[in-house]
Amino acid sequence: MRKSMNIIMAAAVAMAITGCASGKPAENAANQNAATEAAADAKAGTGAEAAGADNSAAGTDAKAGTDAEAAGADNSAADTTDGASYTIGIGQFAEHGSLDNCREGFLQGLAEEGIVEGENLTVLYENSQADGGTASQIIDNFLAKDTDLICAIATPMAQSAYSAAKKEDVPVIYTAVTDPVLAELANADGTPVGEITGTSDKLPVEKQLEMIRTLLPDAKKIGIMYSTSEINSVSAIEEYKAAAPNYGFEIVESGISATADIPLAADSLLEKVDCINNLTDNTVVSSLPLILDKAAKKGIPVFGSEIEQVRIGCLATVGLDYVSLGAQTGKMAAQVLKGEKKASEMSFEIIDEAAFYGNNKVAADLGITIPESLSSTAAEMFDEIVTE
Amino acid sequence: MSIILGVLEEGLIYAVMALGVYITYKILDFPDLSVDGTFPMGAAVTAALILKGVHPAATLLLAFFTGALAGCVTGLIHVKLKVRDLLAGIIVMTGLYSINLRIAGGKSNLPIFSRENIFENAFLEQHVPEAWSPYTAVIILFAITAVCKILLDLYLNTRSGYLLRATGDNDVLVTSLAKDKGMVRILGLAIANGFVALSGSIYCQHKGFFEISTGTGTMVMGLASVIIGTKLLKRFGAVKATTAVILGTIVYKACVSLAIALGMEASDLKLITSVLFLGILVASGNKGRKVKAHA
Repeated sequence: MRKSMNIIMAAAVAMAITGCASGKPAENAANQNAATEAAADAKAGTGAEAAGADNSAAGTDAKAGTDAEAAGADNSAADTTDGASYTIGIGQFAEHGSLDNCREGFLQGLAEEGIVEGENLTVLYENSQADGGTASQIIDNFLAKDTDLICAIATPMAQSAYSAAKKEDVPVIYTAVTDPVLAELANADGTPVGEITGTSDKLPVEKQLEMIRTLLPDAKKIGIMYSTSEINSVSAIEEYKAAAPNYGFEIVESGISATADIPLAADSLLEKVDCINNLTDNTVVSSLPLILDKAAKKGIPVFGSEIEQVRIGCLATVGLDYVSLGAQTGKMAAQVLKGEKKASEMSFEIIDEAAFYGNNKVAADLGITIPESLSSTAAEMFDEIVTE
Repeated sequence: MSIILGVLEEGLIYAVMALGVYITYKILDFPDLSVDGTFPMGAAVTAALILKGVHPAATLLLAFFTGALAGCVTGLIHVKLKVRDLLAGIIVMTGLYSINLRIAGGKSNLPIFSRENIFENAFLEQHVPEAWSPYTAVIILFAITAVCKILLDLYLNTRSGYLLRATGDNDVLVTSLAKDKGMVRILGLAIANGFVALSGSIYCQHKGFFEISTGTGTMVMGLASVIIGTKLLKRFGAVKATTAVILGTIVYKACVSLAIALGMEASDLKLITSVLFLGILVASGNKGRKVKAHA
């Protein structure tokens, strides 16, 4: 008994030591980076180019490179064009098609600004799998690793990041936060509450309703399923309810608390409505194939809220392309990383244009013709249902 | 340094919750699942009250009382309606999900960033020197946890506290003393869930928002902390069980943090928790539940 206790304690001590050891290289690396940057600065200052260290031209490259080697820093980082390299942490709240697209777009946006993963950018990526407690631990870990910036995907992650990072002055860029004002990440006029800004994925509710009216001239009731635990959905429902009468619709809502509730909720909702409309609700979207299947059997159209949903079998949407939302966010992050602007100086942005996406195969199955007025403006029309 | 502070902060927040789980699991021998509901309940009550303008420190007490109320309900269902302990907990936990949403005004996420809380307020800003500011949260958390621990220790040494311990060990004895063991159980569950909700309240003020998903896995985390604490530390001198539980929570959080720092995927954390859990149970020689740490 006592022996096993000793073993455990020894293991604990060993773990503690490794913990300390693993913390130290990170600090050293950070110091080296700082040294490299300082060196690059000095060279740029003495060099002919008047450009700042960030935009330093080819002339300083070789010098920066040798300095970096002398300092013993990572070579791959030093080989890049502007001498500065960044480490960012991306914390994503849940595993989900739209959010994955956000992340992909975010890295694309950074790359367009010359900050490329693997060259001058190190990305730490963690997913909290929809667990609030894990989310805050992920952020603590990013802070411990001295990240230059934290990218938070979805509302709870953004809030965790803001609450932890404000103590250490690490800027936070968020995306896929439907209502930053409601989430207290922005003031009512859109200005940030601190070193935090980003993009909102607010749904174009009016345009969506208008599109549904065009496609289904006789429909009266729109069913919307949402999870009571997702604040984005709750605020979207309110908006739909407020706008629906203007287009002659009535919203029938059905709140669920877990994935397991979806089959029953879908059955009962399908009895009552002329069509179903999806939000960006994570729980509902994850079970979309099931809902589509049930709706197809009854010949009831299902509208999506973004491109992925139309791809897998929703009739149409006037919605967001999360990749371009992510890219817009990436560009904001690039400005912060390069020191052009502070996060606290930028108001949050919403995606500029919402586009129409339709699925011809679904329309044909339902016996609906998508009118020319819509299909001619479509960003993308799908001719098949992709089921993965 | 910041990772150590982070671990201490997280550990001390959840230590209060672990004290609650210690009462039910170790003292009462009652696997209480309602804590998964009472933890976010404490957070919901706190967020809603702070938004109404209640003083942040007062919300701690109010959260404790609402949690205690929920604990009473679990106890009443178990004792008076004769529902099995696990089921009683599950029933209350499930019901609390809806109640928590109601408390938070139908919202699953309630931010209180812009309000004062026990960690950030005008008083602290005036009286705490700038150089101390990174440590204020840890100091405040340490104080709260210490007060909870001392109060619990004092209580366990009262007449009522002895009865509580006797009920878990040998409830026939309690009956033979002409005491109602059912009432003692209800009282124990109330105190335990009060601590858990208090922990939820601290969590909410520390993070700056209430989120319905924060309760998931509270029970497992509490259990892991209690077991790590009591199994690992009880043999080292005269460490009190309550102290062991608090240290256990910090060790647990340190392990999780280490796992993330070493590059493990956050999605694997639950597996790591269960392996850690099992490892400690096996290594410390799980001799069955009848051997009591506090006896």
